[in-house]
Amino acid sequence: MLTLLGLAGLIFLFYLSFFWVSTEIRQGIAQRIFYVHVPAAWTAFLAFGISALCSGVYLWLRDDRLDRAAMAAAEGGLVFATIMLTTGPLWGKIAWGTYWTWEPRLTLTLLLWFIYLGYFMVRSSTEDPEKGKRFAAVVAIVGALDIPFIHLSVIWFRSLHPEPVVVKPEGPSLPGDMLTTLFTGLAVFTVLFLGLFLFRYALEGLRAEADLRARRSAA
Amino acid sequence: MSLYLRQIGAIVRKDLLLELRSRERMTSMAAFAVLAGVLFSFSIDTATVRPQDVAAGLVWMTLVFGGLLGVGRTFHLEAQDGAFQGVLTSPAPKDAVFLAKTFANFVMLYLVSLLVLAVFALFFGLDVGQNLRWVVFVLGLGSLGFVALGTLFAAVATGTSMGETLLPVLVFPLLVPMVVYGVGSTDRLIAGRPLAEVEGNIRMLGAFALAAVAAGAALFRFVVED
Amino acid sequence: MSTVQAETARAVDSGHRESAVLEARGLVREYGPVVAVDGIDLSLDAGEFLTIFGPNGAGKSSLLGMLGGAMRPSRGTVRIRGAELSYSDVGWRNRVGILSHRGFLYARLTAEENLRFYGRLFGLSDLDERVSARLDRVGLSDRAGFQVRHLSHGMRQRLALARALLHDPDVVLLDEPYTGLDPSAAQVLRTVLEELRDGERTVVMVTHDLRQGLQLATRVAIQVAGRFAWERSAEAIDTNGFESVYHRVVERT
Repeated sequence: MLTLLGLAGLIFLFYLSFFWVSTEIRQGIAQRIFYVHVPAAWTAFLAFGISALCSGVYLWLRDDRLDRAAMAAAEGGLVFATIMLTTGPLWGKIAWGTYWTWEPRLTLTLLLWFIYLGYFMVRSSTEDPEKGKRFAAVVAIVGALDIPFIHLSVIWFRSLHPEPVVVKPEGPSLPGDMLTTLFTGLAVFTVLFLGLFLFRYALEGLRAEADLRARRSAA
Repeated sequence: MSLYLRQIGAIVRKDLLLELRSRERMTSMAAFAVLAGVLFSFSIDTATVRPQDVAAGLVWMTLVFGGLLGVGRTFHLEAQDGAFQGVLTSPAPKDAVFLAKTFANFVMLYLVSLLVLAVFALFFGLDVGQNLRWVVFVLGLGSLGFVALGTLFAAVATGTSMGETLLPVLVFPLLVPMVVYGVGSTDRLIAGRPLAEVEGNIRMLGAFALAAVAAGAALFRFVVED
Repeated sequence: MSTVQAETARAVDSGHRESAVLEARGLVREYGPVVAVDGIDLSLDAGEFLTIFGPNGAGKSSLLGMLGGAMRPSRGTVRIRGAELSYSDVGWRNRVGILSHRGFLYARLTAEENLRFYGRLFGLSDLDERVSARLDRVGLSDRAGFQVRHLSHGMRQRLALARALLHDPDVVLLDEPYTGLDPSAAQVLRTVLEELRDGERTVVMVTHDLRQGLQLATRVAIQVAGRFAWERSAEAIDTNGFESVYHRVVERT
């Protein structure tokens, strides 16, 4: 249900960002990608937080449902981080004249993406699935603890190497209709993520149940 | 001395004794350090770049890659005759085992990092001068943070079918703060800038190392349980 | 089929027994979809020696792992002298000694250093006397200063046994101790294992070697597909006919 709502919201968001919101003067049309880019980034970090939290409680309680939740969240997070990383350079090329810049948030998301990658590689490369779940949980927790450090360090690093002028509309200085579109984007992506998350979670639950049944009938 | 400390001491002593006898890891790390220094010297066109300017970054890169060689093998020696299973089924708490392995690795990597510094000072004509003490201190903090994460994830990687090849994928993203703050402070110290300029960096490096050790000690038990 | 069930049912005595040294209830170990141990109960008194036979993949090593606390059970409990083992509590590890076909020894430490190292982990105080006494008992006094990699396989196995028993455990778990031993080394191992039948210890051994396994046992079980499919006291077993019994049980289950 949430997924459908999210998808409907996505269409609405596309409508808003393509037709409704006014074009930013200095960056032109390309700036419209902003309404997808920022919400995707926000969702990727939200997902990682959920994943790490579920992982922590999983190690404590050893309830498979928590592990499935952590995995579903990580999967959603990986998707949204990928969106952020693909839209970022597209926008960056037009706004700053370069595909890649060590802009702190972009850097942080790139590293987050690799932590997610590690999470899934660890999960899939153990013979004993229980071990994979524990390993992955450890990766998620250490990753979450490390994120603030990475964040601070890339900001500091960035301060060493000032970019030319970064034109980026930010905060309350954003005109009203842009702000509305941005917040719609945030809401839509969050709903979409939650929808995908619950969908994947339910799917994994069904799979586990099917496994159990197959085992019972075999026994 | 409490039992906890004695258990840690026993493992540290055993690890260092084994290394002293086999010299497997120290030799490969030290050889890597020197050879990396040679290769990096060739990789710099001295007509356009002054070697001193990039030395700090290269020192840290050598430390990271070389450290991975040694730390990645932490649990291989242990696995040979199932000995690590003997350690894990002993009454030694898992966090004590982690702290001991980390400390033993730290001793080895710290020695290597000092060698790296010496090699680069020699090859690149660095004059660390009055800040030497602080550079040595910064390398110590960096080594500590590195081995804490490295030891934890070496245990993870060893437990997977991919083995050590997985280790860089897991630790490199996490090591970014260490490299940023480590290089940031080493660079300026080598350039003879006052300590006050890098104090914040050194604090962050210390916080990172402490957090890594604490996280490793807390999570190691989940990695090695069967 | 009915006799097997009856035997198993008898072995699974109901309720918790105070006198039991080692007791397991409803032990289950799953590896994802694979069930290695599928509900095993056992109860052993001091002086009992249980030998478990079974084909590869029957879950014997997983069972031992759980009894020794090296492996966390998916379900079920293990008790030693009535105290329930919790995976995270390390204190009771003092009561269990584990010997596998791997020696848990460091090849580049000497025989003495190996024992001292484990002695420190177990927090033993009288290390000097204890280590030399134990080396003496397994006939390795003159090899104390030799690195393990320079010892023969039989000597290593004896050293491994000394290591497993260094802290005088109540419960001794033997995981295929005969694997890779030549006949004379196996003979040596058997004499040392016989010493374990001192009436105070409880021993569980997993092995493929039917002859060696029967010689020491007071109880015998055949584990197939994660369960005890057959269990008898050793006196009730016809040693000569056991091999055909074993094959029958394994094939039937």
